[in-house]
Amino acid sequence: MPHNPQKNRLFPISLRDFLIFAGIFACAIGVCALLRVADSSDGFASPVFVLAVLLISRFTNGYLFGTLAALLSVVCINYIFTYPYWAVNFTLSGYPLTFLTMLGVSLVTCTMTTKIKEQERLRVESEKEKMRANLLRSVSHDIRTPLTSIVGATSAVLETPGLSPEEQRAFLEDAREEAQWLIRLVENLLSITRIGGESEQLAKQEEAAEEILGEAAYKFRRRFPQIQVAVSAPDELLLVPMDAILIEQVLSNLLENAAIHGGTTTKINLSVRREGNEAVFVVQDNGRGIPARELPLLFDGTLKHSETPAGDGKRNMGLGLSVCMAIVRAHGGTMHAKNLSDGAEFSFRLPVPEKEFQES
Amino acid sequence: MTIREKVLIVEDEKSIAHFISTILSSNGYDPLLARSGAEALTMISSHCPDLVILDLGLPDMDGIEILRSLREWSSLPVVVVSARSHERDKVEALDLGADDYLTKPFGTAELLARVRTAIRHTRTTSPSGEIAQRGTYTVGELTIDYNKHQVLVRGENVHLTLSEFRIVALLGKYAGKVLSYDYIIKELWGPRAGGNNQILRVNMANIRRKIEKNPAEPEYLFTEVGVGYRLAENE
Repeated sequence: MPHNPQKNRLFPISLRDFLIFAGIFACAIGVCALLRVADSSDGFASPVFVLAVLLISRFTNGYLFGTLAALLSVVCINYIFTYPYWAVNFTLSGYPLTFLTMLGVSLVTCTMTTKIKEQERLRVESEKEKMRANLLRSVSHDIRTPLTSIVGATSAVLETPGLSPEEQRAFLEDAREEAQWLIRLVENLLSITRIGGESEQLAKQEEAAEEILGEAAYKFRRRFPQIQVAVSAPDELLLVPMDAILIEQVLSNLLENAAIHGGTTTKINLSVRREGNEAVFVVQDNGRGIPARELPLLFDGTLKHSETPAGDGKRNMGLGLSVCMAIVRAHGGTMHAKNLSDGAEFSFRLPVPEKEFQES
Repeated sequence: MTIREKVLIVEDEKSIAHFISTILSSNGYDPLLARSGAEALTMISSHCPDLVILDLGLPDMDGIEILRSLREWSSLPVVVVSARSHERDKVEALDLGADDYLTKPFGTAELLARVRTAIRHTRTTSPSGEIAQRGTYTVGELTIDYNKHQVLVRGENVHLTLSEFRIVALLGKYAGKVLSYDYIIKELWGPRAGGNNQILRVNMANIRRKIEKNPAEPEYLFTEVGVGYRLAENE
């Protein structure tokens, strides 16, 4: 379980930290015990425990275990490893000094560690912020075009006297199509907010892959009735841990890309199969394929909206694919694209836990 | 003179309320409008509508609250309207007794289909919550024979197990309506079955393999991703 640094940053309690603490402390006691067998002087105990306190402070979060280690070390040194052995002797001359040294080491190391972690967090956050800003910029750009044509088309209907009903209808159909495009854009944006950035926040559940495929295909057919979609899933039920809404979004985006960017697409194969510990989802179309120049850039996020030629007047696939990529990655999966002899193939793989479902 | 069914639209967005009421009135319904939750509750008691279309996001109170207080005294059919990404709201609304839901944005056809289904169900469904039902239900080539506890596809018995039959029977009783995962699980395995969806998923997969030509392209058993299942309705 990864630790969440946001919560109770100064004195967090976690099993991982406790194990580190216990492990290092046990080692320190062991080393001292061994050394005492070899050498009867007491001088080594303090430095060994100082080292232990330093390591514990460095590898645990916050101040809790570091301080605890400092206190316990003093007690251990006093009780076990200094004369008189197995007795607490508060009159020992160096006692307060040892204690202060230990505490000092612990506090300084804890502070430094916490600071380093804080800086790391800030760096990641500012990177995320930058990504969001880029996204916002390209999305605003993408929203303007359809909005312009919606406003234009509706104004034309409202303000042009004597338009024939056919002309009015054509304008309204344009406006509706643009509005539907905006809806899909917004849905993609919502998906991004749903990912939230960290994979452990996904609401994953074991879902039947065939159900998600069937739904995505059903909705796609309603939008593109002229394109044939063949769906295939394995005979054996394939349960995949996922956020079903997000994976449906990935499939919808890939299907839509195949229809719009494939250009000449008339048939799409949508399938899922199991390969070892992975579920492989594949979308194949018989369109004109992915331009060779764009292929290596598709997934590395460098394909900017403005850089892809929107040659056929349709919008590019930049945002849709980045969303797919982000969703698949948040699931711990991978995405791939290649050209077939006719058409293109997009696929993604999601991890599937190794177990048998023979229950009925 | 035919009596037009009264549909109360509870929606604060003027333009959305406008288009819903236009579509409904041009399709033979009598639309009423309420712009807030308080107004909705008054209008329900004063106008006795046949159906309520309820937006979950209202300015003065949560739509869920309206549903909850309505269900204390009335089984009037309610179709909730919610955004796509809020599937938990939909499940909550269904479990609180909403009859169906519409996902924003929705089209004319979808709106009319939901309204038709919800109004019809109030006429046919008996108030008892039992799965048991008499007679048969047929959609396409699928027939559920409630007397013999059989499901037939093209006249052939597909030999469902008892659990599988009970699931299909339940979906058939509310054909056209989405039943949430939790609702189905509770009806079948009792309230203590908990939120284990997997046993339901496995049963559904088995049923699909028995009644659908291609389980990945269902004709009868539809999945509403994140919400539940729906059996096709005969038009």
